[in-house]
Amino acid sequence: MTEAAGDTSVLALEARDVWKAFERTQALSGVAFALRRGEIHALVGANGAGKSTFSRIVSGHLAADRGDVRLFGEGVRFASARDAIRAGVTMVMQETSLAPDLSVLENIYLPEFGAPGRLSWKALAARAEALLDQFGQKGHLPLRRALRDLSASQRQMVEILKALALDAKVIIFDEPTASFSPNEVDRLFDVMRLLTQRGKSLVFVSHRLEEIFEITDRITVFREGAAVADGVPTSGMRPTELVRLMVGREIADIYARGVAGRGTASAAAAVLDVEHLAAGPRVKDVSFNVAAGEILGLAGLVGAGRSECVEAIFGLRRVERGKIRLAGAPFRPRAPIDAIRAGVAFVPEDRRRQGLVQDFTVRENLLLAHLGRRRGIGLGYDERRAEMEALLDELSLSPRILDDGILTLSGGMQQKVVLARWILMSPKLLILDEPTRGVDIGTRSTIYAMIRRLAQRGTGVLLVSSDFEEVIGVSDRIVVMSDGTDVTSIPSRLVDVEKLAMFAAPRSSAEATHFVLEELAARFGGVAYWISLEGQRLYCFDAVAAPDAPEIGFARGTFPEIAQSLIPCALERRSETFLAEPAGASVLVPLRGHRGHDLGHVGLTLPPAKALPDPSLVRRIALAGSAATTAQAVAGGR
Amino acid sequence: MTTEVKAAPRRPAARVRRLIRGAQLELRMLAMLGILSLGLSLISPYFFTLSNILNLMDQSVITGIVSIGQTFVILIAGIDLSVGSLTGATGIVLGLSLQTLPLPLAIAVAIIAGGLAGFVNGYIITKGRVAAFIVTLGMMSVGRSMAYVLSGANSISQLPDELGDLASATVFGIPLNFVVLVVLYAIAWYYLTFTKGGRTIYAIGSNAEAARTAGLRVEFYSILVYVISGALSAVAAVFLAARILSIDPIAATGLELDTIAAVVIGGASLFGGRGTIIGTFIGVVIMVLIRNGLNLLNVNPYWQGTAIGSIIVAAVLLERFLSAREGLARAGSEEG
Repeated sequence: MTEAAGDTSVLALEARDVWKAFERTQALSGVAFALRRGEIHALVGANGAGKSTFSRIVSGHLAADRGDVRLFGEGVRFASARDAIRAGVTMVMQETSLAPDLSVLENIYLPEFGAPGRLSWKALAARAEALLDQFGQKGHLPLRRALRDLSASQRQMVEILKALALDAKVIIFDEPTASFSPNEVDRLFDVMRLLTQRGKSLVFVSHRLEEIFEITDRITVFREGAAVADGVPTSGMRPTELVRLMVGREIADIYARGVAGRGTASAAAAVLDVEHLAAGPRVKDVSFNVAAGEILGLAGLVGAGRSECVEAIFGLRRVERGKIRLAGAPFRPRAPIDAIRAGVAFVPEDRRRQGLVQDFTVRENLLLAHLGRRRGIGLGYDERRAEMEALLDELSLSPRILDDGILTLSGGMQQKVVLARWILMSPKLLILDEPTRGVDIGTRSTIYAMIRRLAQRGTGVLLVSSDFEEVIGVSDRIVVMSDGTDVTSIPSRLVDVEKLAMFAAPRSSAEATHFVLEELAARFGGVAYWISLEGQRLYCFDAVAAPDAPEIGFARGTFPEIAQSLIPCALERRSETFLAEPAGASVLVPLRGHRGHDLGHVGLTLPPAKALPDPSLVRRIALAGSAATTAQAVAGGR
Repeated sequence: MTTEVKAAPRRPAARVRRLIRGAQLELRMLAMLGILSLGLSLISPYFFTLSNILNLMDQSVITGIVSIGQTFVILIAGIDLSVGSLTGATGIVLGLSLQTLPLPLAIAVAIIAGGLAGFVNGYIITKGRVAAFIVTLGMMSVGRSMAYVLSGANSISQLPDELGDLASATVFGIPLNFVVLVVLYAIAWYYLTFTKGGRTIYAIGSNAEAARTAGLRVEFYSILVYVISGALSAVAAVFLAARILSIDPIAATGLELDTIAAVVIGGASLFGGRGTIIGTFIGVVIMVLIRNGLNLLNVNPYWQGTAIGSIIVAAVLLERFLSAREGLARAGSEEG
């Protein structure tokens, strides 16, 4: 262990000519893979390409039919996951393999429960604290809490810590970021970099291209059970080429942008109108509307209350306060069937738990909502035959799969089936909650195209997604939610990923900035704001005004052109000293994240008559609180 | 092989293959049944006589009827432990009703009583979110106790002769009660296969959350299966009373175990969503054959319980072993 951590010439893990078949399908046909010591190696491929099968073979969960796996040059053949762990290989599972009733601490050290001898709780707790500290997770995870009380992303973090606790030499991350918000992804990447500095070798399985390009050193691409690119340096690969390798064809623009009919929504009648909706602890006060033919993105971080909000609209959650109108008529569903009869469709977030009936065929899964809505005794499947076949064709699914079990399909195809189920209902409003989670890029573009076509036929679409790039790419307009309230409503052509991240930052983590604004407004008696300036436009993420503050022409959640604000000169010049205009005198302080990201400006505008303080004092206050916490909260802004 | 080239005959062939694949479980059970009866007929010359076969039919009626309800309940991943005592209790209700009411009305009263008890089960399980095992265990105790209370702990005998006709009448030489059993199975099969309610029951057992999200009436059908189970317990009680024109408060003790065993032998999963009514029918016949065989072989009654218990577990183990490859293929195709 004395060799330099950066020595990447040593192969940590090498697999050659690995074969694996499941009854009818050949999952791997002669796959090769080489992981260097201290690198982060991306393993990518469409659904069904064999990534998971390969990862599970290497980590001892499955046995290969034949093939050669070497760990630091020595041939290994793991009989079980425990075998692999002992040899220094662990896998961070994508569908968490945790015990919900045990505490975080117990979950982290679960693999040690199998070891002989007594467990010392005290020693375990001390080790856990050290582990959290080491990876900068202190304070983020309550060790004594039962796992079931944690959020999805916290649980994923426990899963990761569990692997770290084993002190493995090779760690395979199988889509670790599926439930993570941008800042959590950043935190994970910090941990991963730390691990490589200590000489660990990491395999990173992911669907998210931007993450692959940000974190990995080399890329191996699987397609149909074979490696089509083998350890290509990430720096030498272009995203379009990677996509081509994955799906075997070119996909120019997966979001099918530029299709006619975008952004004309405001003229059409509202399909859905939500006013001051409150439902449960996560949804406090949400207002927005969706027009016929419009695709509205509901963006925000995990925990912002987006899923809970759409579940309330679909009748899965009780509405406590507020009004919902559907096509103009008051609407308050008590169960999903009320919403379905009223013309609402819902593709849920968790396909396995809420979407699929696992024991049913593809046909019955497709017709499940039809069955739900149908009155009468019989099934009425035949009435839907023609429609169903036309739809399958549109989704490029073969009608031959209709009588197969739903679980024989890949994740992407399953998602198409769930989507098709609702399209058959010809809904007025289609709600999609994270429709492309764990879905490969080829299938994603089909799903996006389908959503667009539906919108063109007049369906209002409400898209919930944590993937900001997807929200911007697919929606006409975006409503950002944070801490259970809507923060802004903005046309997607006016916004980018960084600004969405700043709008979406939960108040709890942007608290420091908010505190600074309050301090500035109170101390100097004006209006203080956190904005981002880009081109001719300003984006206001937060603003606090003292009682006698001047009017500045923008407020929290608005995004006017700079010329339309009442302090255009100060903004235009990003003036760092007070600049007097008719509306008042303004000063701006630029903010930077700990990795040098642009986090916008904090500004202060004082009434014209007021005596001006020293700008450096304003600057000191602005930077004091905001730098640390805000930077973390919206860091990356990837 | 050569038929692959010709397009026309492929479709029906594929359909038959699919049918066989779909009914694989039933075919295996049927094979097991065949081997069992062959073995019995070799051991005992009496086995394949008309009187024994009529006897077998008669014996499968009670377990058979109650197993239909048990199948419905197990399909939604529930369990009904109260069927035995409900059969006993509704039998007493029938006996008491017959003292004042005409036969059809008395039967109706018994069935309504059974359905009501089932409704109480289903309502508490579904609305109160209490485990089916606990609620029906409670009902099992309440039902037996009611049977004693209502009857004063005495058997009710000298029931009207017209009731006895239900047991002794024949249709084309086949006992009426067995015909009723077959008709009930046909109805149940049709219901589970071709109606909205039937498919909803399967969907609930497989994934209740997804069923609800698709707009299916999960609560209604979750209660309904217990109502059906309770009502069928009363139907079984009618035929039980008809057999000896008397009903006893301890009647049908342990019936819940026989029905659960029959359903499980028939291939249903206790986790819900999987199982067929035809499988259950075969399971019932296997249970009856085993009991019959043990009697024919003069096995000491004290040992019969051990034998039956072992055979049930062995049969299910064998089934799991046989379907293991199928299951592996399934798990394999779930890979990403």
